[in-house]
Amino acid sequence: MKPEPDESNLAAEMKAAARPLSEIGETNLKRAFLKRLKEVAARPDVVPIEFDGRKIDVRLGGTILGAALKNDIRLMHVCGARTLCATCRVVVESGAENLTPMRPTERFSLRWHLSISPRTRLACQARVRGPVEVKSVFPLCGELPNS
Amino acid sequence: MSATDVPRSEESDLVSRLRLGDADAANEFFDRYAARIRRFIAQSLGAEKSEADDLLQETFIALAEALPFFRGDSSLFTFACAIAHRKVLSFIRTNARRARLLRDAAISESEQRRDVGSHRDFNSALMQLSPDYREALVLKYVEEISVAEIARVLALSEHAVESRLARARKLLRKHLGESQ
Repeated sequence: MKPEPDESNLAAEMKAAARPLSEIGETNLKRAFLKRLKEVAARPDVVPIEFDGRKIDVRLGGTILGAALKNDIRLMHVCGARTLCATCRVVVESGAENLTPMRPTERFSLRWHLSISPRTRLACQARVRGPVEVKSVFPLCGELPNS
Repeated sequence: MSATDVPRSEESDLVSRLRLGDADAANEFFDRYAARIRRFIAQSLGAEKSEADDLLQETFIALAEALPFFRGDSSLFTFACAIAHRKVLSFIRTNARRARLLRDAAISESEQRRDVGSHRDFNSALMQLSPDYREALVLKYVEEISVAEIARVLALSEHAVESRLARARKLLRKHLGESQ
């Protein structure tokens, strides 16, 4: 009977059984990779967005929440940006196509919190790819709503 | 060659050039890592099929998009494997039934192809593991990356990786025992 592999000879067994490294030559993949690298390199590093009427700069690919906090806009995020509380939700006034698509977790969270407007996004999840204009749904931390 | 063979300084230079869209850097990266990433994907899927090539393509495109956000906390290979891991997971979720068929096909294919007395038993036992376990074993013993780096790839704690490896080894032993 074949002996059971202990940790010391498992590595040797795995290496011997592993698929050989197959050569990947000059392919379309290499060209596509280079093309995308050049496209990404040509993009600007920061993009301007408008948050509650205030113009701020966001690192390309950064979240709205991250940008707001960096610019001292105290947007609520009770769950710590884990898509649970939806307190960071914002209404997208324009440029919705410049945000990353909604993931199932974000969609679930918004539905769970009965926010079914297609213009509503979670600021902790939506990443910026171009200029957008957003408004916070809840009052900012430290601000009381007008009575 | 293991992932740790490349000095960090050399790798950070490569990352900088990749971010600028340098063709030589893209070629260097491709030659150095593409085959290993493809093998990782194929092993995780359990099939040497066109799916592995499709996922490799998706991984490279996603990698190009994600490079500006690479902080250098891990090796570039680990970063690429983490992306590949998510692509594999996504593929498996959306093609659960197909993936099962592929796995079964891979088992029978490997049984047919391998020479008598070579690693047939070992391979078929490996293919019976779930992709989670297989990925952990491949990263640890084939790609020889550290537990800390595996934790980054699989988005787990180091402790969870150790547990997963232990369970994978136990299951592998069980399957090997059954195949005798």
